[in-house]
Amino acid sequence: MLELVDLTKRFKQNEAVKNLNMFIEKGEIVGLLGPNGAGKSTAISMLSSLVEPTSGDVRYNNKSILRNPGPIREVLGMVPQEIALYDDLSALENLQFFGRIYKLKGKELQIKIAEVLEQIGLTDRKKDIVKTFSGGMKRRLNIGVAMLHDPEIIIMDEPTVGIDPQSRNYILETVKRLNEEKQMTVLYTSHYMEEVEFLCDRIYIMDQGNLIASGTKEEIKQILSSEHTISIKADRWNDRFIEKLKNNPTIHRVKVEDREITIVVPKEVNMFATLAKMAEEADLELRSVDINAPTLEDVFLHLTGRALRD
Amino acid sequence: MLGQIIKKQALILLRNPVQLLLLIGLPMILIAILGTALGSWMNGDSIEINLKVALIEHETEEEQVARFVSDMDKARLPEEAVVAIKESAIETAPIRMLKDVFVSEELSEMIVLHEVNPSEKQDVLDDDSYAALIEVPENFTYETLNEIFLDEESSINLQVFQNEQQEIGANIVGQILQQFGEQLTLGVFLADQGIDQRAMQVDVDELDSEVTVVNQGNPVSSKAYYTIGMVVMNVLFMATAIGTISFNEKQTHVFDRIILANVSRWVYFTGVLITGMIFAFIQSMLVFAFAWIVFDITWPNLFSFFIVTLSLSISVGGIAVLLTAVSYRFHSEVLTDFFSSIIVTMMAFLGGSFFPIGDSSKILQVIGNLTPNGAGMSAYLSIIRGDAMVAISNHIVYILLFAITSIIIAVLSFPRRGVSA
Ligand SMILES: Nc1ncnc2c1ncn2[C@@H]1O[C@H](COP(=O)(O)OP(=O)(O)O)[C@@H](O)[C@H]1O
Ligand SMILES: [Mg+2]
Repeated sequence: MLELVDLTKRFKQNEAVKNLNMFIEKGEIVGLLGPNGAGKSTAISMLSSLVEPTSGDVRYNNKSILRNPGPIREVLGMVPQEIALYDDLSALENLQFFGRIYKLKGKELQIKIAEVLEQIGLTDRKKDIVKTFSGGMKRRLNIGVAMLHDPEIIIMDEPTVGIDPQSRNYILETVKRLNEEKQMTVLYTSHYMEEVEFLCDRIYIMDQGNLIASGTKEEIKQILSSEHTISIKADRWNDRFIEKLKNNPTIHRVKVEDREITIVVPKEVNMFATLAKMAEEADLELRSVDINAPTLEDVFLHLTGRALRD
Repeated sequence: MLGQIIKKQALILLRNPVQLLLLIGLPMILIAILGTALGSWMNGDSIEINLKVALIEHETEEEQVARFVSDMDKARLPEEAVVAIKESAIETAPIRMLKDVFVSEELSEMIVLHEVNPSEKQDVLDDDSYAALIEVPENFTYETLNEIFLDEESSINLQVFQNEQQEIGANIVGQILQQFGEQLTLGVFLADQGIDQRAMQVDVDELDSEVTVVNQGNPVSSKAYYTIGMVVMNVLFMATAIGTISFNEKQTHVFDRIILANVSRWVYFTGVLITGMIFAFIQSMLVFAFAWIVFDITWPNLFSFFIVTLSLSISVGGIAVLLTAVSYRFHSEVLTDFFSSIIVTMMAFLGGSFFPIGDSSKILQVIGNLTPNGAGMSAYLSIIRGDAMVAISNHIVYILLFAITSIIIAVLSFPRRGVSA
């Protein structure tokens, strides 16, 4: 339905997006993951027709939107990374204004506004001036404004940055619900792994303007399939046990913390028996041994050698 | 769509009471303060003209004419010519003619000529009640007659000392003398042609508009003056207020939202333009209404008044879109800030919002009228003085040209596609 083809954007020397290829199908929630400055917002701006690409193409239903952005604009709801609202107007006035510029009016607009207010949980505060809102409330209204015209596709650019965990969960649940109940197609940008992991079917990972991985959650985690992370818990450690772990040739990495030791081992090795034996020899009582499934965080770390959040 | 954008701008403006107070309350306060405090100073010499001019002769004119006539007797010229020249020489005595000009009906109302002894010259120069001192050097009449009738070069000129304290008065005297000089030269020409040039006079109507305006029109009270001055200045702040609101829309990315709603950027642009116009108009009307109710400032010609206010409002709209377009282009509000902090003050100063700066110099007057506020001010003052529509139409045309130029530059600099990632 929506396709980015070899999309590139240069700002003077700085190549913000390099040869990006992406597609989004109807009804999907697609995640775009990457650290700050990866080029996510720039990619989205080109996709939504706000910024002209240096080269490449954006296609909606197989037609380029570069020259004729009308069709994509009609079906698109955009939640910008910034809080793009009138601070001096009330929530209701904001919704009214943006609804009207989307050519909604009268009863239809009223009903739609009531519905959106309900979805974003601001019905009680609709008369209040946006300036007086908390960060989370502003974020919710920022999303609400983008949903007024019943967009087929909604693009959210880091919609949960800088808000409390409660508001964050609320937003994530709302996105999920919109997708399930209204079959809304979602492109969700974030630098939080767990959000993308929770929401998305398919994921693109960007770093420094490049696409470094893409696929379903499972496919991406396959990248790490050759290794397991195992966490071992005990009330206290002794040097003999740690020595044994470090000297074992099948264990790649050992990280010792207060009550937990993390080790990385090849997938095919069964460590349970080995660990139990080591503990017995070292006279140590283990509380638990868990095999951790890899996270996207691990994938990013594996691919770039850097943590996602700096 | 346009209506929505204008309505929203209005709402934002109304939500800022401080801004509103500055735009509408401040001019009212300033009118009250300036109009009262500077009232007496204003009324000084700009409304009623009552000039004292001193004339010093170093030698009586009759003696010199007699000397010229006796020269003629000795000259080897045909008898007939000598008689004709003697006759007209007696009539052409320039200083007598100059005195006649000053006592003429038109000028005697505003100018009193005092003949003063050469020994009192310094006293007159020190006395600020005189607008000017005209000094006739020795031999002036004799040499002038020689120049007129015998084509001899003369190097003697009238000396005029103008009192800088009385600029308007001094200007008027300067202009009278200039006209007189031109006619005297014309007299030389006429005499050459053997034409009688007794009918010499200064045409008061031809004295510069400055004289006619202050002389003929209704007086302008200082409160009326400052009402106009503050209105034409403060509408400029309306332009910056609108410009700031628009730039804020770009900063907060709501402009992107408007574009994504498939609203043409030119609809938005027009919205800013019209908002600027409407608000400047409302702002002017509120302040004028205040001046009317509180200070009884009324307008002899309401039609002209509305036309000027409308033109000025259009130019405010023009400035608003210009500031918007430039700040969008450079992604910076520096120009708008510079405009509201420095340029407006300069324009207000040159336009005469603080005092009638144009009265002190022709050049400043011209420069002042090149600012839209200055042109608007001149037009409003003309209306109060009761001048006809023609007198203000030049200013209106200029204001509209200014508005159109601003709008065109704004259109050209408004970025085609938002580059805001
Ligand atoms: N308008 C712009 N002008 C110049 N450089 C820009 C502009 N917008 C973004 N960039 C640069 O492009 C890169 C990607 O930015 P962005 O797309 O905002 O990343 P992200 O959204 O992933 O944090 C950054 O290095 C940023 O500095
Ligand atoms: Mg971003």
